Amino acid sequence: MSADAIAIATTLILAALGALFTERAGVLNLGIEGILLTSAISSFLAADASGSVWLGLIVGTVIGAVLASIHALLSVVFRANQIVAGLALVIFGTGLANFLGKPAEGKTVTTVINPLSFGPLSDIPVIGPIVFGQDIITYLAIALAIVASRYLFSTRPGLELRATGDDPATVDAQGLSVARIRIRYTMIGGALVGLGGSWLMLAQSAGWHQAATTNGLGWIALALVVFAGWRPMRIIFGAVLFGFTLQLPFTLQAEQITFIPSAFLEMLPYLATLIALIALSRPGSRNLLGAPRALGTPFVRDER
Amino acid sequence: MQIPFRVVFEQRGETPRRLSLLVPFASVVAALFFGALFLLATGYSPIDTYTNMFRDGFASFNGITDTLALSTVLICTGISAAFAFQMNLYNIGGEGQLYLGLIGGAWAGIALGDHLPTLLMVPVVLLCGAIAGAAWIFVPAFVRSRLGTSEIVSTLLLTYIGASLIKHVIYTPGSFFRNPNTSFPQGRMVADSASLDSFGSSRLYPTFFVALIIAGALYWVVKRTEFGYRINVISDSPRAAHYAGINARRTTMWVMLISGSLSGLAGAMLIVGPYGKIEPSIITLGYGYAGIVVAALARNNLGLIIVSGILFSGLRVGGNNLQVTTDTPIHIGVMLQGAILLFALGGEAFRRYHIHIVRVHEATSQKASA
Repeated sequence: MSADAIAIATTLILAALGALFTERAGVLNLGIEGILLTSAISSFLAADASGSVWLGLIVGTVIGAVLASIHALLSVVFRANQIVAGLALVIFGTGLANFLGKPAEGKTVTTVINPLSFGPLSDIPVIGPIVFGQDIITYLAIALAIVASRYLFSTRPGLELRATGDDPATVDAQGLSVARIRIRYTMIGGALVGLGGSWLMLAQSAGWHQAATTNGLGWIALALVVFAGWRPMRIIFGAVLFGFTLQLPFTLQAEQITFIPSAFLEMLPYLATLIALIALSRPGSRNLLGAPRALGTPFVRDER
Repeated sequence: MQIPFRVVFEQRGETPRRLSLLVPFASVVAALFFGALFLLATGYSPIDTYTNMFRDGFASFNGITDTLALSTVLICTGISAAFAFQMNLYNIGGEGQLYLGLIGGAWAGIALGDHLPTLLMVPVVLLCGAIAGAAWIFVPAFVRSRLGTSEIVSTLLLTYIGASLIKHVIYTPGSFFRNPNTSFPQGRMVADSASLDSFGSSRLYPTFFVALIIAGALYWVVKRTEFGYRINVISDSPRAAHYAGINARRTTMWVMLISGSLSGLAGAMLIVGPYGKIEPSIITLGYGYAGIVVAALARNNLGLIIVSGILFSGLRVGGNNLQVTTDTPIHIGVMLQGAILLFALGGEAFRRYHIHIVRVHEATSQKASA
């Protein structure tokens, strides 16, 4: 069962980490879903043309950063409404991905990312395939979350990043460029989302199915960041939980368990997030939740 | 490395009127130009693509009527978004509220259809759709006004739940909304009294005028009533509103409920108009999301939404017809919508700020590079 849940969780961890870095810098990028889709199809086309999945992953990651730079330009430099800019990116990215994906419809990549082999360890029942049956990107995603946690909470640049999201005026007074930090982390975030999208395409090798390729994983990643209270380690936990609930309808269907309507199971991850979101937002608990205080607000020095 | 110049944004006291017209126009032109470059780069003819899109979207009888028919829905979801956005309430779940409008409208059309005449039935269907849409935003509105829970995430999550609900009512055997006479899962038709006739041979329904009237009525509410005044005060300065004794909670609640009901109304209009049943493919069309674009392009101005709604519908209708007329992927239409909005957002900066580039004083750049 849960090997598939881990598969979904990998994309979720990468996309949510990308969103987390962006939001920790105070930028709200709702365009994750559009970036995921465009990166997915770009990586597919690159891998298909070159025969190398690794080149595909690189192309997808770069495309992610490029799309995020559009968001950074609009929301940081032009101080546009970040919510609308993010949504514009979703629409643009969806159109672009479907446009580029037309020749890819019905095709699957010939070379895929293979799971690593740990010899007999991978053969242990139940635990074996889950813990030792993943590919390198899955392990990388988990490692990235751990590194991100260390980076955010125990390093100088991590402190600057958090400060930029919480109190940009102070960062500015320190002589650092708020705009530069925000652009940098928005692009790093986009690259992570791009890697997640590419991985989804190349490791799952499910082929290109237009918007159904990501099926809203980008939006779930955004909810996951809230759920995780903007903390990288909790993202791993949340992503596995979400991956599991997203996979549950298929698992139960395969096991012929039908007394729970599958539509309800489909709703479950969204419902759980909604309830968690409401439960965590008692009045005045915004700090407890951990939302960056300047999230979504452009920094303007002279209007301070 | 120090860049020897910097870009300075100077807030404009008042925006010159010509810029207010020039910027949206220039955004559309710039997006089309960008699209042309993209088409050239991918090996398609921009001239063929654009002429076909324009003809099928704006310059033929079927094109114009199809465009106006689609704009009926997009104007409703557009004002739904704009009405909430203008108070900084980001209801981005119009998509889900539209699904519920479809369900609410279909329920009324099936359950009550045989008891009421058309003259009464159509308004009842529309009302039930609006109520269902409002119900779908009730929880986000309640927790937003009481606890400050982000309505962005909550309304969005409910869209996915709504999509599952649509699938559930159509694909579950024996469902009330499913056509019992076919084995292929499809929606049950509403009673005849609950559906309108389109104009002549077109696919345009009288609901188009309902959308126009509602846009006008809301414009009046915002500009001329005390309720509208309260919305303006709260969005300009929540603190001033508080001192003036304005109940922000209640206003937040109402604005969100109205916003939700408008998206629900859009769904119900599809029931009395072209669909006559719940069409599960609605969850792939993104009419609710498009409403956000329509609202943003009109800068939440309820009057301008009619213009941007028709423009966007034309792009979509023209884009969708590309499949028939050329080999250009139809998705160029959606991509152009996104591009127009991105350029419009960038253009906004030129409208709001006087942007100029100044050279950084040489002494500072020398010091920095030393």
